[in-house]
Amino acid sequence: MSERPSLWWIDWRLSRGALVRETIGRFLFFCLLGAAFLSLLLSGGTSRFLADRFAVTAVLRADVPAAEAEGLARKAAELPPVRSAAYRDPETAWKEFLLAYPGLEPLRAAGGNPLPGYIEVRFRHDRLTGADVNLVVSAMRSVSRVDQVLAGEEWLPRLLHAGRYASWFCRGIFGAFVAGFFLFCRLQERGRAVALAGDFAFLAERGVPAGRLAASRAAGAAVSGFLSAAAGAAAGGGALFLLLREFPSLERVIGPPSDLLLPRTVAAAAVFSCFAALLSAVSSLLGGRAALSGRK
Amino acid sequence: MIEAFRLGVFSRGATLWDGLDFAFGDAAAWVVVGPPSSGKTLLLAILRGERRPDAGDVVVSGESLFRGNAALARAWRASCGHVPEQSIADARLTVEDLFRRSALARGGMRESERVERSDRLLSMVGLQGARSLRIAEMSISERVRASLAAELLRGPKVLFCDGVVSAAGIPCREMLWGLFRALAREGNTVILAERTIPERWALAAGDGADVGPFRVYRLPVPVPGANRIYELKH
Repeated sequence: MSERPSLWWIDWRLSRGALVRETIGRFLFFCLLGAAFLSLLLSGGTSRFLADRFAVTAVLRADVPAAEAEGLARKAAELPPVRSAAYRDPETAWKEFLLAYPGLEPLRAAGGNPLPGYIEVRFRHDRLTGADVNLVVSAMRSVSRVDQVLAGEEWLPRLLHAGRYASWFCRGIFGAFVAGFFLFCRLQERGRAVALAGDFAFLAERGVPAGRLAASRAAGAAVSGFLSAAAGAAAGGGALFLLLREFPSLERVIGPPSDLLLPRTVAAAAVFSCFAALLSAVSSLLGGRAALSGRK
Repeated sequence: MIEAFRLGVFSRGATLWDGLDFAFGDAAAWVVVGPPSSGKTLLLAILRGERRPDAGDVVVSGESLFRGNAALARAWRASCGHVPEQSIADARLTVEDLFRRSALARGGMRESERVERSDRLLSMVGLQGARSLRIAEMSISERVRASLAAELLRGPKVLFCDGVVSAAGIPCREMLWGLFRALAREGNTVILAERTIPERWALAAGDGADVGPFRVYRLPVPVPGANRIYELKH
């Protein structure tokens, strides 16, 4: 008779219908939030987009043999911030030039191909910073076979600044969504606590400490929050994977679908789920306390 | 044994009662009779350990409820059952919900066992097939009987009933008479708070003892080993 009642999943045992509805709603929201989180994580805000658009061009001297130029490109590719370094021979450079400026074929008739070969260096999206660009530019300039290095140094700092602000803006929107979700959960928890107030009073009257009740409810909310968030992140990630495969152009902004399966992405999703569990527990505690004190 | 010493309550700027002594022995059914607004509900709350008296103390099995170990007081409350006079908060629930909640407070029970026992208890209080009914749809008599049945699911060692006999109505008196005495015979303690005691009960109980504004009766309990009228325990 004096055995302690198990309060585990007490909300589920007392109010199944409401809890199922809330859990479905939260799962759907976690799907959206998970997809947004993974997109933000993989894209780095605007980093991947900028890294896709930005390249350092090392123009080679006219007499550099192709084999030597390719060796130089391989060396450049080994630099830590570099994602890829590709050699374009003079003939390819000419074709690209004509594609960009059609109608200038007569230039070549005057005296052969006027364009030299070049190495196009592209950066990893997480290493596109002023310091890393300077590092690569200095390394390329120190090579005697390189005639000049074009890195847009006049406008690059402004571009990186704008990119940083845009990234923070994206994170801010995500944060606002999380905060809104937290407030919504708190209201839901409060509503449920009000609806179950009679049951909680019944249990308190029969020797169940209010602290134990609140702790059990928060623990239940944390576990269900973690599971919902994990399932939501998995579903959101799956949808993102399919979206990236269906529309490859999105890879330029978000990244390749294979990045979703990287261990660090999975670890980030786990952290996301833990954070959701924490938010769920806090919203349960605050909602329950607000219901008891009659505050909003 | 529930003993209360020099109990005093100050309410609405005045002394409601002071210096009252009670002694409720185990395995017995007690009726505390008092006029309206005499503090019967308050007395039950104090005896359950829910409300601290403004003076005096309540001692259960030698332990003070209010000055002793908090864990013991909680254990005492866990062993008590309580059927309130009226519960507005429960109006939204169904009878099934009452049993589910009671099973939860008991420490868990298998679904099939709960359903089977709740059906038996409901038919015992004259509410066969009422499991799916909403409390809001029921009469006062039905509500109090449903609450009593749900409370009995927990098998409380001590049962406090506030105005249950009068709320249940005259047709249910015989059933309650048998039920409370059967509970006492099984070793439980039942304490009822009522405005009046049914005449037949008073005749059987003999002269009650006057304690402040209350009169306390002890109902006669059948001898253990006689035919069991109600199988409350499995």
